[in-house]
Amino acid sequence: MTSTIPTAQPLPEAAPPASPAPSAGPSRLRHSRPDLLLCGGLLTAILLVQGWNITGFPALSDDEGTYLAQAWSVQEGRGLAHYTYWYDHPPLGWLQMALVTWLPAAVSPGLMAVAPMRCAMLLVSAASAVLLYVLARRLGLRPWAAGLAMGLFGLSPLSVVLQREIFLDNIAVMWVLLAFCLAASPRRHLWHHFGAGLAAAVAVLTKETMLVVLPALLVTMWQHSHRATRKFAVTGAVTACGLTGLTYPLFALLNHELVPGPGHVSLWDGITYQMSRPGSGFLLDEGSGAHAALRSWLYYDRVLPLGGLAAAVLLVAAWRWSAAARPPAGPALAVLLLTAMALRPSGYLPAMYVIQALPFLALALAGSVHALSHVVRGEEGSGGRTRRRRVVVGSGVTAAVALAGVLVVPHWYDANRTALTTDANAPYRAAHAWMSDRTHVPDPARTRVLTDDALWLDLVHAGYRPGTGAIWFYKADLDPAVARTLPRGWRDVDYVVASPTVRRDAATLPLVRAALEHSRAVVSFGEGEDRVEIRRIDRRDRDTP
Amino acid sequence: MLTAAFVCVVSLALFWMAAFTLWWQMHAWRTPETLAATRFAPPRDKGSLSFSLLVPARHEQAVLEHTVTRLLESTHADYEVLVVVGHDDPGTTEVAERVAARAPGRVRVIVDTHEKKNKPKALNTALPHCRGDVVGVFDAEDQVHPELLSHVDHAFRETGADVVQGGVQLINFHSSWYSLRNCLEYFFWFRSRLHLHAAKGFIPLGGNTVFVRTGVLREAGGWDPHCLAEDCDLGVRLSSRGKRVVVAYDSEMVTREETPGSLMCLLKQRTRWNQGFLQVYRKRDWRQLPTLAQRMLARYTLMTPFFQAFTGIIVPLNIAVALFLDVPAGIAVVTFLPAVTMLVTFVFEIVGLHDFGAQYGLRVRLVHYLKLVAGGPFYQLLLAGAAVRAVWREQRGQGDWELTRHVGAHLAQEPVREGVAR
Repeated sequence: MTSTIPTAQPLPEAAPPASPAPSAGPSRLRHSRPDLLLCGGLLTAILLVQGWNITGFPALSDDEGTYLAQAWSVQEGRGLAHYTYWYDHPPLGWLQMALVTWLPAAVSPGLMAVAPMRCAMLLVSAASAVLLYVLARRLGLRPWAAGLAMGLFGLSPLSVVLQREIFLDNIAVMWVLLAFCLAASPRRHLWHHFGAGLAAAVAVLTKETMLVVLPALLVTMWQHSHRATRKFAVTGAVTACGLTGLTYPLFALLNHELVPGPGHVSLWDGITYQMSRPGSGFLLDEGSGAHAALRSWLYYDRVLPLGGLAAAVLLVAAWRWSAAARPPAGPALAVLLLTAMALRPSGYLPAMYVIQALPFLALALAGSVHALSHVVRGEEGSGGRTRRRRVVVGSGVTAAVALAGVLVVPHWYDANRTALTTDANAPYRAAHAWMSDRTHVPDPARTRVLTDDALWLDLVHAGYRPGTGAIWFYKADLDPAVARTLPRGWRDVDYVVASPTVRRDAATLPLVRAALEHSRAVVSFGEGEDRVEIRRIDRRDRDTP
Repeated sequence: MLTAAFVCVVSLALFWMAAFTLWWQMHAWRTPETLAATRFAPPRDKGSLSFSLLVPARHEQAVLEHTVTRLLESTHADYEVLVVVGHDDPGTTEVAERVAARAPGRVRVIVDTHEKKNKPKALNTALPHCRGDVVGVFDAEDQVHPELLSHVDHAFRETGADVVQGGVQLINFHSSWYSLRNCLEYFFWFRSRLHLHAAKGFIPLGGNTVFVRTGVLREAGGWDPHCLAEDCDLGVRLSSRGKRVVVAYDSEMVTREETPGSLMCLLKQRTRWNQGFLQVYRKRDWRQLPTLAQRMLARYTLMTPFFQAFTGIIVPLNIAVALFLDVPAGIAVVTFLPAVTMLVTFVFEIVGLHDFGAQYGLRVRLVHYLKLVAGGPFYQLLLAGAAVRAVWREQRGQGDWELTRHVGAHLAQEPVREGVAR
């Protein structure tokens, strides 16, 4: 590996021929039977594994409820959120969700709840998986390597768990993958690159943390554009991305909510809040929140996060002397950027942070295996490489792959079996059923419940008034508009659906804490930490001033 | 509500117009392959066609000699130069006679005796005297590259074309803020947009560096003497009859010109073109184009000056509506779409200016970029003014020729660069 061999170099810098005959062009990919079969087969497997028991596992998360409820609010014409939209995130993510779920919600309003709507995420997963395959092929990976990337991305237990959930990150990943695919367009078309900028902007407006990945996208585009047209292509893409991104501040400006002022929320405040969120500590510090997040990822899968990271380092380091390592170096750079971001000790690291890295980790892993296979087959590096050394390296790599298989397959099998069979949401369903039962709660429309976001839509469909009847528990403390409707504090509340989230966060929420203290469990579903209790506020406590 | 709907419709219409214009303007840079295909293929021989080069000259004694002398430096073997002068223009005639005497057989002087003179009449006067297989047109102030004819010859033979349009480029971008924009307009038009028109089979030809097979030209009856944009008209007529037009652009091979000397001259020139486009539109030759897409392209292209004027007025109005009237934020965002497209166009213009500088080995400074951006709205205003003026004049039946005067700015200030680095 001492000299640069142009075998896998996809970027001829000389003036191209006038005939449009790019290698591995989109038309070729679309009409290539092995590619279609492989991609289609993997897609079926991914959809089966991710789709089976999607409503049962993992446990419904608060964030899923938040975004879906805001999508519901958009569908109902109540604005960007049923509480005051305060620029916590750009709204494009749940606007898309509202669009996708519009038809099923129109047919059957009850479907617009977290568990059933997880099915919509299958569309996102499918699109992302196919885009990853296309991207891998466009970056010069052979079909088997592209299939490896797609399989790692779609079937890793970590992906299965996280991609099932209604997270903005999953939608943003789809857009950023589209951006990468367009940036690596084999036709090097100006408007493909422009489209890459647009898609990148949509990704950022879906989940703002995608900003971190943009430099890697730029590198990919730079690599895949031609010298003669590069300045137009890259400038166009940057312009498209910037201008589209500016619609968000423009939107705030048009609402007179760009800068802080009395009596209204503002984009500035939203950004300040996000930037000043208490850090979750250093990732490698055992006691930190960031480390807990890391542990939860590694619990599901070690191969993809750790193997992918190592592969990314390898690819970026091999940039100079390996032609096969260069094309997937862009995605590998994305991994490094995301890792660097996660290693900031002061930063806030949410549990879903890893979602954005998943496709790039998978691509880096598959890309490095692909590059190694080039080395083994002697397609790269020339001087002094003897047949025997090749055999040695080859058998070494084969042994490593076999070992990885032995280590990976049983763990993946177990973890995915859990995902396919465990019902983690029985307590939620039971709580929903109890709250909907008129023999328990005769008049939902006049009953006020503190609940977490995951169950909120179910309660709304059961007849509780959205916002002031069914109340996101933390809004009772944090949103002045909601607090005004509870003049006597916890005494104005009838029930608390105490899920693990509610019990955990009550520590910092006085009203919720008081409501929990002055209530008793009427019924409890599930066991131990994961139980969901329905607590009624004590009548006697309530009427004493 | 009605206001909102109206604003939405207008915004979307403007957006599509601006988007299409941008799409076409960027045609050449779509893919590296497209860009490579816009260039002349290098000729393998000295050529086998014969050329008759027409140079109509009216009050051009200052620049004519230089132009013809340079034409005579051509490396092509077989060509003649026909200088067309007016019978009432002794100054230019004297210069023309002097040059002709120096190169007998190569240069001839044709005298146009029409009472009211214009360029198409001059060209038509010379057409019967042409002996070459191909007629080429140059303006009296043009700087023509010595190897152009060989390249054009090769292009004719290789592609079997009936018409070959070469590149024309205004060079004196440093003269004033509007000449900067004017140069860039030419750059985008000849470097990029014309190639799209050639590919689509509908092309408004340029006024010079245009070559037509003599037979085809005679069959078409020469130029329309009553049209103010006789070049555009010829292109439309020929492409409507299915004649094959090829465009080639090579920064080394372009014909260099100068921008009009004053803002008023530019306004007059632009008015004339706009009026000419309007006349061509009303002549309806383009209706013979076989496909609907071609006819739509023709309709749109010929109406472009008026769309431009319209856009220039409406876009600021639209933004004002969005900012000051009480429309929903979603709708207000829609009203920004045309402005956003214009911004994208601006950015591509900046990159275009950089490319222009690189192609021609010219030093483009920061101040020029700033001028380009700052001058944008004013140039838009000028274009709008010219469009309105053209409609006004056409309505009142004023069809006379407002001539652009040339002072030779591109000759004095910009020495000809041979083989500029690209």
